[in-house]
Amino acid sequence: MSIEVRNVTKRFGDFVALEDVTVSLPTGQLTALLGPSGGGKSTLLRIIAGLDTADEGTIDIEGTEATNLPARKRNVGFVFQHYAVFKHMTVAKNVAFGLEIRKRPKDEIEHRVDELLRLVHLQQFAHRLPSQLSGGQRQRMALARALAVEPKVLLLDEPFGALDAKVRRELREWLRRLHDEVHVTTVFVTHDQEEALEVSDEIVVINEGRVEQIGSPDDLYDHPANDFVMGFLGEVTTVNGQKVRPHDVDISTTPILAGAAQGTISRVLRVGFQVRVNVLTDGGEDVTVELTKSHANALGLGEGTTVWVTPTPGSIPRMVEKAG
Amino acid sequence: MASAVLEETRPRDPHPRATPRPPREGHPAVTWGLRLLVVAYLFFLVVWPTSLVAKNTFANGFDGIQGALDDPDVVHALTLSGQVAVAAVLINLVFGVGMALLLVRFDFPGKRVLNALIDVPLSVSPVVVGLALVLVYSGRYGWFGPWLEGQGLQVVFAKPGIIMATAFVALPLVIREVVPVLEDMGDDQEQAARSLGANAWQTFWRITVPGIKWAVVYGVVLCLARSLGEFGAVKVVAGNVGGESTTAPMLVQQKYQNFQQETAYSVSFMLAFAAVLCLIVVALLRPKEPKK
Repeated sequence: MSIEVRNVTKRFGDFVALEDVTVSLPTGQLTALLGPSGGGKSTLLRIIAGLDTADEGTIDIEGTEATNLPARKRNVGFVFQHYAVFKHMTVAKNVAFGLEIRKRPKDEIEHRVDELLRLVHLQQFAHRLPSQLSGGQRQRMALARALAVEPKVLLLDEPFGALDAKVRRELREWLRRLHDEVHVTTVFVTHDQEEALEVSDEIVVINEGRVEQIGSPDDLYDHPANDFVMGFLGEVTTVNGQKVRPHDVDISTTPILAGAAQGTISRVLRVGFQVRVNVLTDGGEDVTVELTKSHANALGLGEGTTVWVTPTPGSIPRMVEKAG
Repeated sequence: MASAVLEETRPRDPHPRATPRPPREGHPAVTWGLRLLVVAYLFFLVVWPTSLVAKNTFANGFDGIQGALDDPDVVHALTLSGQVAVAAVLINLVFGVGMALLLVRFDFPGKRVLNALIDVPLSVSPVVVGLALVLVYSGRYGWFGPWLEGQGLQVVFAKPGIIMATAFVALPLVIREVVPVLEDMGDDQEQAARSLGANAWQTFWRITVPGIKWAVVYGVVLCLARSLGEFGAVKVVAGNVGGESTTAPMLVQQKYQNFQQETAYSVSFMLAFAAVLCLIVVALLRPKEPKK
């Protein structure tokens, strides 16, 4: 186990940011700390990095007791949401910073910087200033800078949070590929469940200072430990008193589905290739159904249509006992 | 190699620049009226009086300046003023940057009180500052002075006292320049440096100092100009020990009262010229477009 967090508690005045958190983050994996804003996930990351200190509890990094080690001695790479680029240095100088602090020979630094800039596709920008780069480029530079010192773990605090949607999507795919190449233990903080599900090997869901669940993306999606995890990882709707994801609801215009609830369509909304339908059932539930556009067209769904809805067989997420 | 070429890698405009906001349009009469008011205000308060000093200085060509520089009292006063100003600036540079860091980067009890205290030198009359220093450091009846004098260090009526008074009066200038820049800069870069292995000293020199460089330069120049010109506090502390502890502004007053107007004007001009020179140097050094 690479990073061992044991019984960590952190308070800011009366506010409890983390309460008795115990997590182990495995070596060589890409782990996401997922949760709503203000839930304590960034605080946990900063405590692992040594940028904040825990009030109670211990941190162990690769077998080294790190609880009282200053940030500069922990050998972790940290990437900030707002890049934290060194504004007065060129891209190459930024990346070289950690190596220069470690007083490595000049030609070695040059070689390593060149290699890293290639890795993050910025070799042609080596002599630019950060202010001449776009947000995505700056963040890649920050990543190269963090990797330059060959850290034992790489910590990313909402790394794509300040970027626009398209760049964000590109960068997270790229991060996944980069991780598969570099294999450094990586932990990143995000409040975007799609990002966590897509990129990570393992997800730690954190809410209100506590760990809600730890598991693989599939595990969490299919077997959420509680309502919070289920609701946070994707949309939830209720049919016949059962919680289910909107794309796991079968809908038909004839009562052929066994045990289906009858209802009337109150709203039809098309989002790209998807159609979201709201059904008011006779039982008084407002059921959200997601289906493809062609499926909706085939059924001839419109506002006021009478329909029958039921959860797709075998789709109801099985809640597991709290594993945290 | 993550080989896919990211679309995003395409170079952007190498000099991204926000389009400047056009000046607000107003009624032409209002615009002209305001302009006239400002120009008249500056002219009657600053430009005209200052230019008269220059005019009087050069009434006989360079004879006035030459005559002043031949007077050993003048040379001594100018040298003393220069030495005092440099010493006060160095002191305020070190403490100013230190206090600014303390105020922005650290939380401690009494921070608000300290913050308010820093402005005291700006709000209190310099004469009061001088008197206060005399009360503490006077060799005869001061609170701390006799002991210091026993150790062989005379503060009041000597150079140390003049430097202290000057440093006191110019204290807030560096701090007030540096604090907003430090706040604006945030501590992200410093944290990044620390996580990359830099210790406090390396972080300060490699990250913080380049970030606040211009604020420090402005602060130093303001401090230098203020220190060269300080009169009230220094006058009280320096006493009337002949020419020994007479600074340039004090000399101007003495010469003027002794009907040596030409010398007074010449020294005045030199003081004003030094201040203007400082401002010009900064204007030239200043980067054309401050980078965000």
